[in-house]
Amino acid sequence: MTALIVDDEPFARRELRRTLEPSKDIQILGECGNAIDALTRIHVDKPDVVFLDIQMPQITGIEMLGMLDPQTMPQIVFLTAYDEYAVRAFEKNAFDYLLKPVTADRLELTLERLRNSFFRQDFSVLPEANHLRQIPCFSQNSVIFVKASDVEFVEARSTGIYVSDTDGQERPTALRLNILQQRTGLLRCHRQYLVNIDLVHKLQYLESGLAEFVTQRGRVIPISRRLLPEIKERLGIS
Amino acid sequence: MNLQSIASLSVLLLQQMCVYLVVAYALSRTRLFIPLTRASIRWPHRIACYLIFSAFCIMGTLLGLPVVSGNAIANTPAIGAVLGGLLGGPVVGLAVGITGGLHRYTLGGSFGLAASIDIVMQGLAGGLTHRYLIKRGKTRLLFSPLLAGGLTFVTILIELGIDLALSRPFAEALDIVTLIALPELIANSAGAAVFVKILLDRRDSIDRQSRAFSAKALEIAAHVDGVLRDGFDQENSMRVARIIYEQTGVGAVAITDREKILAFIGIGADHHLTGTPIASQHTLHAISCNEVIFADGNEVPFQCSLSPHCKLGSSLVIPLVGENRQVIGTIKLYEPKTRIFSTINRTLGEGIAKLLSSQILDGRYERQKSLLLESELKLLHAQVNPHFLFNTLNTIIAITHDDPAKARSLLSDLAVFLRKNLKRPTEDVVLSEEIEHTKAYLGIQLARFEDRLSVEIDIPEPLLGVHVPAFTLQPLVENAIKHGTGQMIRVGRICIRAHQDGQAIFLVVEDNAGLYDPQPGGGGLGMNIVDRRIKNRYGESFGVTMACERQVSTRATVRIPMEALT
Repeated sequence: MTALIVDDEPFARRELRRTLEPSKDIQILGECGNAIDALTRIHVDKPDVVFLDIQMPQITGIEMLGMLDPQTMPQIVFLTAYDEYAVRAFEKNAFDYLLKPVTADRLELTLERLRNSFFRQDFSVLPEANHLRQIPCFSQNSVIFVKASDVEFVEARSTGIYVSDTDGQERPTALRLNILQQRTGLLRCHRQYLVNIDLVHKLQYLESGLAEFVTQRGRVIPISRRLLPEIKERLGIS
Repeated sequence: MNLQSIASLSVLLLQQMCVYLVVAYALSRTRLFIPLTRASIRWPHRIACYLIFSAFCIMGTLLGLPVVSGNAIANTPAIGAVLGGLLGGPVVGLAVGITGGLHRYTLGGSFGLAASIDIVMQGLAGGLTHRYLIKRGKTRLLFSPLLAGGLTFVTILIELGIDLALSRPFAEALDIVTLIALPELIANSAGAAVFVKILLDRRDSIDRQSRAFSAKALEIAAHVDGVLRDGFDQENSMRVARIIYEQTGVGAVAITDREKILAFIGIGADHHLTGTPIASQHTLHAISCNEVIFADGNEVPFQCSLSPHCKLGSSLVIPLVGENRQVIGTIKLYEPKTRIFSTINRTLGEGIAKLLSSQILDGRYERQKSLLLESELKLLHAQVNPHFLFNTLNTIIAITHDDPAKARSLLSDLAVFLRKNLKRPTEDVVLSEEIEHTKAYLGIQLARFEDRLSVEIDIPEPLLGVHVPAFTLQPLVENAIKHGTGQMIRVGRICIRAHQDGQAIFLVVEDNAGLYDPQPGGGGLGMNIVDRRIKNRYGESFGVTMACERQVSTRATVRIPMEALT
């Protein structure tokens, strides 16, 4: 079983690693200090289980769940020092969580559970896990967080997914188009495009029977023939 | 001697008595008369009673008419003597009698001695009647005009008897007594009765006025009770102004703070707008000098400073006084040009201002108390913040394996931090103690986020000894970590500085996150409490100010007065 440790406190990571080490069937792939690094490592290393701290800078552990593809998501074991809300939510829904400081006995129980059954984890009761407040985008030396409401449209290109915001800035993101569609209010209008309907200026019909959106900033977003009837119905202009 | 001369003497004496009563009436409009309207056992009142009735007694003699070549005087000192005794008691009566008697004796004449003895006797008779009535619990009868008139009548009869007995030659005395008997009986009895009636009326009018005043004042007090306790702001001021406007019936009512109109209701409300700055010179003067300004439109000119067409013609500006006799605002009553400003409203206005001032003060005191309570609660909460505590313990457990010495130092930081939080006084501490508390907290945070946090502390040596309110610095540093550097992916930097500028100390906590959210609640509860505590204690010019450059830095600056602390 491969595992990734995600916690913003280095000593907390070290302590968990030490507690995990006696279990010979666990291979620790690495440690991450924040959710952004973790997202990349998860995409690259595809660990079986992620030990995930809840309170982390910029993006909490629960928010990070929303940025993962449910189809390929690893098993998640939450770590928390004390979070009344999280503990209550977990208890009710039998997610696995570990209270820090983690004891070897309690950790063994978790590992046993992971070994025996690859039970399906349902995160739908954690509202934050299904909703993205902000979208992490890569910049040269940093990660920029763009508020979901400030996104004008998202475009999928061969080189990756690009987020355009209201300031006209375009930035690449590691999040996939279908995750963004599910976890934000953005509307799918084309195989390659999501658009923020709040920032659309007009829907323009073309001679070919096709249509396109023009945003308030004047950007033109194509609408696919297949999605047009659905969009018109949703906008109440059918 | 005939009936005609008796009648003319009676008329003359009644005329003199009228002069006497006019003086009495005029005096009754003054405060001098108030002690006479109650049967009081207090010495200052008795002395006032003695002085006034002695004066009337002497005046009664002086206004008298000499008869039979000046050998006798047809006069009215009996009124002063009898009433002095009746209203002031035997001692006052006797004293008035002796004073009046001595005065009469100095004027001489064949009736001199007898007349002097008469006056003493009249004072004593009044006094004894007073004692008799008080003992029987018939105090009300003291102010009966009929009794006063009747008693005077009897004493005059006795007086005439004494005159006949003591004056020689008897034939002359008889002639004189026959001449003055009727005029004196009529003038003195009627005079005493009317005098008491004047007193009664005066008393009733005072009672009536004070009854109306008290009722109005009580009604206003009951209505405004507690309104300004909730805060001296526009909404509450408007409620108070409306109540005063309705209860007093003045033309308009305004309430201001030191700068602007908080409430205005009544005539001229169309151009005296709430929220606008104070324009009236009278008001500005009242605020700066802490003086009641009454501009009646006659002696002190009044002209609305906002509109030449304003119908208001007079204004009364009364300062509202807060802590340390500082003026915090004014209450203003106006009357239109067509109406005179009544005294009762002037007095009421001043009373209301006192009431409101004490309410505002009470409210501030209450809020300050609740703030203290709130901060204490917050401190209690901080003491057991489980997230912080468990994360710290987790860090210590991890460090124990690798670096026991560091673990020990971290445990001592935790001990210092907890002790400071649990056992610290909530009032003033010296800055070095506040730094120690902050350093203990930072020691723990640095261990937890060793690769993500750096701290720089720069406090000049001389400032370490100054007094600052406890829990001023640590909450700001906690805030900078929790809402600032703790939210950063790159390395967070916190810089703590202090400097003195004039009579103020500045404590500065700066981070390199630049994530401060100026919306309500965005700054963190701890920081808001620090700010409010300092403002409440030292005034609005002190407290916490925030400066934020987005994504670059956030700077929290605390300003505290130096002189109040050292």
